[in-house]
Amino acid sequence: MKSKLLLALLAVTLTGTATAQVKPEDAIKWRQSGYAFMAWNMARIKMNVEGTYNKEEVVKAANAIQAIANSGMGSLYLPGTDKGTGWEKTRVKREFFSNKEGVGKVAVAFVKEANEMAKVAAAGDAAATKEQLGKLSGTCKACHDDFKIKDN
Amino acid sequence: MFDGRLLWRLFSFKDKKIIMSGKKFRLWDLPTRLFHWLLVMTVLAAVVSGQLGGNLMDWHGRIGLLMLGLLVFRLVWGVLGSTYARFLHFFPTPSRIRAYLSGEWQGEGHNPLGALSVFALLGLLTAQVVTGLFANDDITFVGPLFELVNKALSNRLTSLHQLISNVLIGLVVLHIAAIGFYGHFKKQKLLKPMITGWKEGDAVSASGGSFVALIVALLIAGAAIYGASGAWLPEPPPPPPPAAETPSW
Repeated sequence: MKSKLLLALLAVTLTGTATAQVKPEDAIKWRQSGYAFMAWNMARIKMNVEGTYNKEEVVKAANAIQAIANSGMGSLYLPGTDKGTGWEKTRVKREFFSNKEGVGKVAVAFVKEANEMAKVAAAGDAAATKEQLGKLSGTCKACHDDFKIKDN
Repeated sequence: MFDGRLLWRLFSFKDKKIIMSGKKFRLWDLPTRLFHWLLVMTVLAAVVSGQLGGNLMDWHGRIGLLMLGLLVFRLVWGVLGSTYARFLHFFPTPSRIRAYLSGEWQGEGHNPLGALSVFALLGLLTAQVVTGLFANDDITFVGPLFELVNKALSNRLTSLHQLISNVLIGLVVLHIAAIGFYGHFKKQKLLKPMITGWKEGDAVSASGGSFVALIVALLIAGAAIYGASGAWLPEPPPPPPPAAETPSW
C-alpha cells in the first residue's frame, strides 16, 4: 500500500516535470518563431499604409500581433537560454535575465501598443494605423536597444 | 532668363574687387561651406531620427540618402573644388604632420592634424551611409539596397552601422572641442571663415572650382543618390492576389 502510494507520487512528479520542462532549444525556437511571424504581420501593415489600404488584411495582421504579444512569451526565456541556438543563435542579451524591471517595462509597453494596434486596425483609418504602427515599432526598438545583441 | 553665370559671380572668389588690401582672403568657397552646414544638419537629423525610430525611420533613410549625396559631392569637390578645399592641398602626409607637431608648419586651411580629423569624419560618414543602405532594424525598416544582400550580411552591416555611429559622435565632439581649443588657446577663429568664407590674414585667396566643376560635382552626387536609392532595382513581386482569391484561413 505504502509503496503503491509512493509509486503514484513518483509518477505524478515525473509527469508534472515532463509537462513543465521545455527544452532550451525549443524555447529559443518558439520565441524566434514568434518574432518572425510578427515581422510578417508588421510588414503587412506597413505595406497597407503605404499602398492601397485593405482593412481586412490590416485587421488580420494586427490581431496576429496582438495574440502573440498576449501569449505570455516571457515564459520562453528560461534560465540558461541567454545562450543557445534555436533556428539561429539567440541574440538575447544577458541583461534580459538580470534586469527584470527593465524587461517588464518594455514588455508592458509592447503589449499595450499591440492591443492598441488591434483596436486602431478594427476602426479602419489608414492614417491612424500608420501612426499606431510607428508607436508599436517604437516599443520593438526600445527592447532591441537594450536587450538585443547588435553583432552576431 | 536665368543666367547661371551671373549667379555664380555673386559668390565668385575670383572677383578681385572684393579682396581688400590683403588683410582678408577667401578661404572656403560657397559650395564647401554649404556642404559643411548641410552635413551638420543631416548628421543631427540622422542621429535624432535614428534614436527615436518608429515612423521617423523612413525619414532616417531619406536623410541618409541626402547625406550620401553631400559626401559624394565633397569627394568630387576635393578634386575639382577651389584651392583650400582640395584634398591634395591639405592631405596629412607624415612629413606635414611632423612639421606641424614641431611648430614649423606654415599654411592656411586645414592644418595637418585637422586634416586627419576631416578625412576620418568623411571616411566614417561614408562608411556609415553605405552600411545604412543595406541595414535592417528587425522591425519594419530596411535600407534601400537591403534586397541586394542576405539577412545575415545585413545584420552584420547593421551592427557595424551602430558601432560607427558611436565612434562618429565621439569624433564630432572632438571636432567641436578642437574648434573651441583653437579659439581659446591659439586665438584662431575657425568658425567664422566656415560661415563667411573669409579669413583675416595675408594669404592667397582660393581659386579654381569653376561653375562647370560645380555642375559636374552636383551631377555625380545626384547620380550617386539615384544609385543608392535603389530606384533602379527591379519591381518587387506583384502584391498577393486580391482578397477574393485569398483563402479564408
